[in-house]
Amino acid sequence: MGATFVVVLREGFEAALLLGIVYAYLAQIGHAESRRYVTLGGALAIAASVAMGAAVTGLSGPLADFGPDVIAVGVIFVAVALLTWHGWWMGRHAREIRGEVQRRIDEAHATRRPWMVGLIAFTGVFREGAETVLFLWGLLTQLENPTGWTALAGGAAGLAGAGILGWLVFQGGRRLSIQRFFAVTSVFLLFLAAGLFSGGVGRLQGFGVLPGGDALWDTSWLLDDHGSLGGFLAGVVGYRARPSSLEIAAYVTYLAAAALLFFPALLSRPARGGSRLTKPVEPSRA
Amino acid sequence: MRLGGYSTLVALATSLALLTTAAHSLADEGPEQIVVTIENHRFRPDEIRVKAGTPFTLVVTNKDAKPEEIESKDLRVEKVIPAGRTASIRVRALKPGTYPFFGEFNPTTARGRIVAE
Repeated sequence: MGATFVVVLREGFEAALLLGIVYAYLAQIGHAESRRYVTLGGALAIAASVAMGAAVTGLSGPLADFGPDVIAVGVIFVAVALLTWHGWWMGRHAREIRGEVQRRIDEAHATRRPWMVGLIAFTGVFREGAETVLFLWGLLTQLENPTGWTALAGGAAGLAGAGILGWLVFQGGRRLSIQRFFAVTSVFLLFLAAGLFSGGVGRLQGFGVLPGGDALWDTSWLLDDHGSLGGFLAGVVGYRARPSSLEIAAYVTYLAAAALLFFPALLSRPARGGSRLTKPVEPSRA
Repeated sequence: MRLGGYSTLVALATSLALLTTAAHSLADEGPEQIVVTIENHRFRPDEIRVKAGTPFTLVVTNKDAKPEEIESKDLRVEKVIPAGRTASIRVRALKPGTYPFFGEFNPTTARGRIVAE
């Protein structure tokens, strides 16, 4: 029972964490009415996960063999694209929300947002959804034994636990000041997307589409990515104990490039500094 | 919007190109085939010895009544195998060493390793 609880909790929390952030984001920008798009995205993702689980189980042949792999990698890169766009958008509007006064972002800016957050919710749930559905399905087939019920109960508890954690993230997120929320979320999305991008690159190496895959270093003595914390970090920020050179390069490149997109202040000249020619000379006070 | 839209477009186009290549790669037959079965939530054999520097294919059959997900971070493999099904997993040429893998749905019992030497 403990084992199923931990597996489902971890998989579920990776999705619930993102959902909690997205819901909190909508509350922060004063567009709580767009919540239904997030809920719809999540619900569609669950439906798609069930459909995928059924397809993998029912179909056979090359499409059933490598179809899920192609879809899995596709979803990863679509998620990276969506998160990058969202982070860029938050970076662009950081200036507007500097004052506590304007909490409600312009309608014009927000029109495309509901679809975006719905899609982000979809990819967040669907990414791990298909395998979680199959896992829970498998538990359902074991109900003839008494241990089957405890295993299923563990899985259900894991789902509930993930939901509670996601809800806590939502409650905490909306209580932050909008600036702090945007800042924290931008940093989180930066590492989440970097991890997804390098993970996707790693998957392509696993398929043989990209070359290489040998580890450049081994930090499993420090934090094993098969353990609880390591596994969680692996799923959320892309931690790898034995990363390949290409994964490392992908991670660092994404971080560097996206950091400039998410935090445009890094690029602009500091307002107070200016150049020596324009800086006003202050009269000295004797 | 333009920059964000453009970068998304680039990301999607790259994904499409990579996915097409992935589909082609996955459809190819791998070289040496090593048979593994999943029985009672265990891998048999649980230690697989291969020659280093030679790619091979794991042919994994799930004889259990529940699906299993075979996962290895080192091999960058994550594949769900439904009950009664067989999946082929191509593995790249490995440097000498030990590469663990496990069944994510039964991590305490389904553990194995590939030893390349």
